[in-house]
Amino acid sequence: MAPTLGNLALWLSLVFAGLQLYNTRKKKKFKIIAISVKGLLISSLFSFFLLIYLHVISDFSVLNVFQNSHTTKPLFYKITAVWGNHEGSMLLWIIVLTIFNYFIFKLYNKKNFIFVSKALEIQSFISLGFIIFTILTSNPFERIVPTQENGLGFNPILQDPALAIHPPLLYIGYVGLSAAFSISVATLALENGEKFPWYIYMKPFVMVSWTFLTIGIALGSLWAYYELGWGGWWFWDPVENASFMPWLLGTALLHSLIIVEKKQSLQAWVLLLSILAFLLSVVGTFLVRSGILTSVHTFALDPTRGVYILLFIAILSGYSLMLFSSKSKIYFTNNYFNFFSKEGAILVNNIIMVVACATVLLGTIYPLLIEALTNNKISIGEPYYNSTVVPIMLPALFIMGVGPILSWGNDSGLRIAKRISPTFLITLLMTIIIFLIYKSYTFLGIAGIIIAFWIIFNNLTILYRNKFSNLTGMVVAHLGVGFLILGITASSIWQVEKIIKMKLKTETEINEYQVIFNKINEVKGANYLALRGDFLIYNKEKKIIAKLQPENRFYPVTGNFTSEASIHTNLFRDLYIVLGEGNINDGWTIRLYYNPLVIWIWIGALTMFLGGIISINKSLRKIIE
Amino acid sequence: MFKNILKIIISILLVQISLINSNAVEPDEILNNQKYEIRAREISKNIRCMVCQNQSIDDSSSSIARDLRILIRSKIEEGNEDKEIYKFLTKRYGDFILLKPPLKTNTIALWFLPFVFLLVGILVILNHNKKSNKFIKK
Amino acid sequence: MKNQFLKLPIIIFFIILFIFFYLLIIDRNPSKVPSALLNKSVPSFNAETLFKNKKFSSSEEFGGQVILVNFFATWCKPCRNEHVFIKRFAEDQNIKVIGINYKDDAEKAIEWLKKLGNPYSSVAIDKNGKIAIDWGVYGIPETFIVNSKGKIKYRHVGAITAKRYKKINQIIKEIE
Repeated sequence: MAPTLGNLALWLSLVFAGLQLYNTRKKKKFKIIAISVKGLLISSLFSFFLLIYLHVISDFSVLNVFQNSHTTKPLFYKITAVWGNHEGSMLLWIIVLTIFNYFIFKLYNKKNFIFVSKALEIQSFISLGFIIFTILTSNPFERIVPTQENGLGFNPILQDPALAIHPPLLYIGYVGLSAAFSISVATLALENGEKFPWYIYMKPFVMVSWTFLTIGIALGSLWAYYELGWGGWWFWDPVENASFMPWLLGTALLHSLIIVEKKQSLQAWVLLLSILAFLLSVVGTFLVRSGILTSVHTFALDPTRGVYILLFIAILSGYSLMLFSSKSKIYFTNNYFNFFSKEGAILVNNIIMVVACATVLLGTIYPLLIEALTNNKISIGEPYYNSTVVPIMLPALFIMGVGPILSWGNDSGLRIAKRISPTFLITLLMTIIIFLIYKSYTFLGIAGIIIAFWIIFNNLTILYRNKFSNLTGMVVAHLGVGFLILGITASSIWQVEKIIKMKLKTETEINEYQVIFNKINEVKGANYLALRGDFLIYNKEKKIIAKLQPENRFYPVTGNFTSEASIHTNLFRDLYIVLGEGNINDGWTIRLYYNPLVIWIWIGALTMFLGGIISINKSLRKIIE
Repeated sequence: MFKNILKIIISILLVQISLINSNAVEPDEILNNQKYEIRAREISKNIRCMVCQNQSIDDSSSSIARDLRILIRSKIEEGNEDKEIYKFLTKRYGDFILLKPPLKTNTIALWFLPFVFLLVGILVILNHNKKSNKFIKK
Repeated sequence: MKNQFLKLPIIIFFIILFIFFYLLIIDRNPSKVPSALLNKSVPSFNAETLFKNKKFSSSEEFGGQVILVNFFATWCKPCRNEHVFIKRFAEDQNIKVIGINYKDDAEKAIEWLKKLGNPYSSVAIDKNGKIAIDWGVYGIPETFIVNSKGKIKYRHVGAITAKRYKKINQIIKEIE
């Protein structure tokens, strides 16, 4: 009963999406459009919650539940596995599209009926495309005959709280860019689009997307850090890149939207950016689901689904980019401003974000290009991106320190120099101090630390001058970036690693800590069996500061082995232990890591997120006015 | 009955397990000469694990990764330079095994385009400044 | 001039989409890598053999006819699955098949072949995996086609399936 209902709800959402497309094209009245918008929202949410219900009650007559669940799975992970597989995550795509659709609908007022209807038309077309794709190729309500007794279970490394909420947050991020896309295309498509304050409508959507994309990516990295076993958190994997590119363009977008708002400058540029950002999101989804490349993140799929998505991208990009090339001329107005100004800084930021994005795109698809042209295969991994993208981003980060201090319009080099010299001195001082403590140098490391302190102190100064009231989202978010860079740089260049074999009751040191291998025990978890090591950590004063318990787990249902690191965190460093292979006679391989200032990566991301929330609040108020 | 199964599983865990995705250099691989060991780690970080998804042999616990790590170390100890070691590996596995693509005719675009992009970006900014200054002077 | 710039995004986008489309429709496996030794001479090696007492010398074994080289081990399940096809190569197609026993226990291997049948004209022992590395092997089973001049013409990674069996026979016919 329930599966049929879910399928019905999905088909119903198809009908409503089609209706909305029809109604908005035919310029029907508000009340009629309202029905399709609300119907679309309710039916898609209903089908989504029904899928969750089916997983929770373990209905193994449904193929999706059979493939991804098991009765022994903890309830929380039964729910979150819904969007951890391809078909379920398509439903997540759809509900985020329809939720944003609803909020575009909420923009309606007496004056902007034509505009909002146009935006809804575009959004409904996008939703229609995804719903059709889901029903035709990836229907989660497909049945399996005969009904199975139990399911295949679910990869244990994915059964984790951070990873569980990472997709919904990420999707609000890059699926949410659809709203910016729809608003941009509506502006270009309408005869008098430039008369509408389209940028005021676009801003909150971009803010929301950027904010959640930031925290979504950060959660994925956080999970990788504590789950994968050696403190790595970014691998330039193609699918990671697929989320990073919309983030880069999203960052450029939210900065240039400020200029459009204040000075009506760079309008054509913003219209293009918002189109490209969402198109890259859909390209990202294509890379993950088409089987065109392998990655730890890909859903294993067949190329026919890829062809469907490709066709959809072709239609979407063809229409939007053609529209841009023919209709954007009128938006190339009043683009002139001084370089030494806030606008100038934002322009530099935008250029660098786009250059970085283009480079990431190049690195991601170049292997495919080579394969298509020469039948050869090459790899493009971390070393390539570290040599290209990282240096490219440095100037943008440096300017970020100065940008907020600059005024709109004209500013003189001398005035700027006077304003920034105190922070410049503090930055130098702190940099020297920290390198005296940690003692290891590389060029990128020094650059990273200087930039981090530069950004942090400039923004702390701004907060201080405002007496810490009137927090703007911008200052908070920038401060967050400073923390992020500090954490990234410090943990990369000053990490200490120790790999040794330890027998029970022996000890070793790492930096100022003494580590004693105390016990090894068998433990039983909810759906796993584990071998757990007990390690006691002592500081210089011989006081015990932590007991770390890394585990090696075996999940009988799926037959997976995993290794769970044990981490002790504080503001200055993470102590990270992994239990390797071994036995009672020869001892075990123990991997110890001392990761300086790593927590600042997560603090930084969280601060950026908070900055985003503050800004969303502000721009929402502006719309209401 | 269940206790027996438990014992068997635990003994599997106690003896040998292949752990997914753990940083993988084993203590018995580590060279005594610290300089050599650092070189070995640097080279390994640039060599792709052919049976994994986007991992280097430094990070992978697979059997082929371990074999190659040991091979690299023995070649360093025999006195080979980094270049020769890379050549040895690419002769057998192709350029695919390198995570940093070598500069060849088929990768010129890959290595130069980012800087071309940057140059174009700088030109855009300079052009914009020129036009702006003209406009403001008016 | 500006018109041309405005068309740039859509042109670039469609070039990228076309490349994706092309890669989707051709027959390719994104996780398999072509051999770096194609059209090169067989790596020379000497090794102990499983059954005969004399050593295996690559210079003596290759050349003169088309030969298949199959890397296998008793602990490898796909090797077990493809064994029937290796036998067919030897018996039905009359092709000389050389086996290379990879990182295995010699006694176990002899037992395994006695039980399942031995299609190999000789089996070289690669105890530490060095021979495999010289051949660019990364995931057994792997099967190579070597032509009459001792050059490697084809490599397949993974177990031989019915479909792959047909393909390899076809290639061998074309080489001759």
